[in-house]
Amino acid sequence: MKPGVLALLNIFTQGILVYFLLVNAIYMLFVVMSAFGILRHFRWTRFLQTQEIFSSPMSKPISIIVPAFNEESGIVESVRSLLSLEYPQFEIIVVNDGSTDTTLAQLVENFGLKPVRRIYRKVLESKPIRGIYTSSEYPSLVLVDKVNGGKADALNAGLNIARYPLFCAIDGDSLLDRDSLLRVVRPFLEDPDRVKAVGGVIRLSNGCLIRSGQTVCLRLPKNSLARFQILEYFRAFLGGRMGMSMLRSMIIVSGAFGIFRKDIALACGGYNPNAIGEDLDLVVRIRRHCYRKKIPHRIVFVPDPICWTEAPERWRVLARQRGRWQRGLLQTFLFYGRMVFNPRYGRVGMFALPFYLLFELLGPIIEILGYLTFVLLIFWHKVDYPFAFLFFIVSVVLGTLLSISSIFLEELSSKRYPRFRDIFILGAYSVLENLYYRQFLSLVRAKAFLDYFRGRNVWGAMEKKGFERT
Amino acid sequence: MKLYSSLVLVSFLGLLVITVGLFLTIIIRRAIVQYREREFAVRYREIEVELLKLLGEPGVDRALALADRYAKFPHVLTDVLLNYARSLWGGERAKLSAIFDRALRPRFRSDLSSRRIVRRLRAARLIGFFADQADEAVIQGLLRDPPIVRLAAANAIAQSPSTEAVPIIFRAFETDDVANAHAYKNVFFSLQLRAENGIREALRKSLELEKIEILIEIVGAIPIIALAEDVAAFAGHSDKEIRLRVAQTLGSLRLPDMLPVLLRLARDEAWEVVAQAIKSLGRLGRSEALDVLTQALFSRQWHVRYNAREGLLNMGEAGIARLEQVAGQTLDRYAADMAAMGLVDAASKGGA
Repeated sequence: MKPGVLALLNIFTQGILVYFLLVNAIYMLFVVMSAFGILRHFRWTRFLQTQEIFSSPMSKPISIIVPAFNEESGIVESVRSLLSLEYPQFEIIVVNDGSTDTTLAQLVENFGLKPVRRIYRKVLESKPIRGIYTSSEYPSLVLVDKVNGGKADALNAGLNIARYPLFCAIDGDSLLDRDSLLRVVRPFLEDPDRVKAVGGVIRLSNGCLIRSGQTVCLRLPKNSLARFQILEYFRAFLGGRMGMSMLRSMIIVSGAFGIFRKDIALACGGYNPNAIGEDLDLVVRIRRHCYRKKIPHRIVFVPDPICWTEAPERWRVLARQRGRWQRGLLQTFLFYGRMVFNPRYGRVGMFALPFYLLFELLGPIIEILGYLTFVLLIFWHKVDYPFAFLFFIVSVVLGTLLSISSIFLEELSSKRYPRFRDIFILGAYSVLENLYYRQFLSLVRAKAFLDYFRGRNVWGAMEKKGFERT
Repeated sequence: MKLYSSLVLVSFLGLLVITVGLFLTIIIRRAIVQYREREFAVRYREIEVELLKLLGEPGVDRALALADRYAKFPHVLTDVLLNYARSLWGGERAKLSAIFDRALRPRFRSDLSSRRIVRRLRAARLIGFFADQADEAVIQGLLRDPPIVRLAAANAIAQSPSTEAVPIIFRAFETDDVANAHAYKNVFFSLQLRAENGIREALRKSLELEKIEILIEIVGAIPIIALAEDVAAFAGHSDKEIRLRVAQTLGSLRLPDMLPVLLRLARDEAWEVVAQAIKSLGRLGRSEALDVLTQALFSRQWHVRYNAREGLLNMGEAGIARLEQVAGQTLDRYAADMAAMGLVDAASKGGA
């Protein structure tokens, strides 16, 4: 082996060490910021009653848009849960995006929906609408049946029909806590001019029970993959999003549950049907629009309104989902690369986008390259095994610390798992996930690059069990 | 490499201690929180039972005894008092006030002027029920606090405002930043008709446009019919948003006297104002507006056509007849389509 190659490998290895330290330091900073944010939020809101928001004349009506493609397993339960929401004025627009299963039939049958001729203004382009259905029994429910065009296209169709100044985009397989809207709308009341979008917490319903359209979380799921994802969601929402919100750098409002001002979404051209991650794409465009037009704006994360969604319980399905998310992230940087490190876009250009680029997008590639380098060094007998072993266990402990911190954040916020046993199980999974789960995800996310450039950008089917009822 | 290894080893041990420590903190914290919650619930039930017993009795002696007994549990006692204060009035509320004076007032006063926002916020919740004249100056200070405290304080004042409190609220509104002005909508709405004089006086002052918009909007939201003329005076204002609010508010007030003002606004240069005026004319339901609404069906603006259709549907048979007339003509396809859809809507609702 040439000494030059070895020197290069050494430099690369040291670079990875620095990267490793940097990424973990930033994640720990997020955890600390989030802990402050969550504590402050819950201290302040402890004295506020959602009933005041309910009776406030300032509460703006909300259109809830639910795009549904082959959601027969959970759509009826999901709509029932939405109908029981506490909010002064709202409408539910379910957009059946050309489902090939019984989604449409189930909705029509369960809610007594009938076709009507309804006028709407086609502000955003979308695939043709085949029919609009309403029900005299549920006047706030509208079903739009359209030709399949993807999630973004369905959301645009829903936006064309929506009547209210705020809209909430949620997935067809999601359930909202009864007072979620009252909680998530609070930033719009406190700062109506500047707040353009608000995101809430997404949690996994696997292992939970559904009672009267509401999720009652009593236990952890038995499936280990779902348990890993529970920890991941804690980290992502209570750690990452809350931290980003504290730093006023939010660029993701999850497509599964987020509220937007309709006027700003329309001004930005609505959802982009060509975007793989339509939620991220919309928020970045809103940010870009506001910075370019010098519109004061805030995009906020609120840690207590909760939306429940089902996580994949099979490795293959999980890989498909994460591959799609990673391709969405990559595409966003290809679309909006000019915003990165551009001071014109404030904190978003100088911090949020570079963060996502360096640590979320490139992270898996750097990690995989690190493993490959290690294999090469083994092959060339250049590994300092005691050091490598120590480094490995430090990385495991650091990963565990981040996950335990996210459990701590969960304890500060909602404490949904009442049993001590669940905390111990999550603690054990915090260690386990560093041994194979994280590596698996890095591999999947790195492969997403290849898939994207090979043009493999299909959405892929998600397998769902549906909600477990009591 | 040895230096690296030592560093990594130290880091490992440090991180391990922090991780295990944090995990233990979670477990211990949860145990403490659960214990406290249980204690709180038990204490709450105890106080509640005693309070319910004394509410039916004459005099405040037992109330004072209760205050003495539970003064060492201020959070629980505050919660019980707040929950009951919302539904009790007169003599029974006086008993709650007696308990409050005895057990909680000193703490409430120190919270009101505390440097910590959380404590001021906690005190703000109690203002509406238990504040007295002596607290007025401090309460006024709360209206200059961060939005969340200001909103809570203003809400609390508005729930049971004294005659002195209403002018305080309006003074705070007039002098506050425009960015905070929206927070006052809630307060004005809670004041209901008591806001009349304050709004009238404020409308006569030269306030920022956004504040005038809010005042006009709130007149329609409550609604305060006596302020219709004051609002109508802004119909010729140069700002489009103000004229828009005027059209909206006059529609909410539903006063036939305001028909000429709305007809004038229906000819405004801004289509947004026209759309709103047409909507308000529809809500008024007066036959004098039939021609204007029919004409509006031929507008180039979708919103104007849509509001005209809704307005005509609101006018009963006369409106339906006009819709049929427009649906039958062939000169303007957009107007005909809008009218036809209106007729379908009316048929599906059983209105035709």
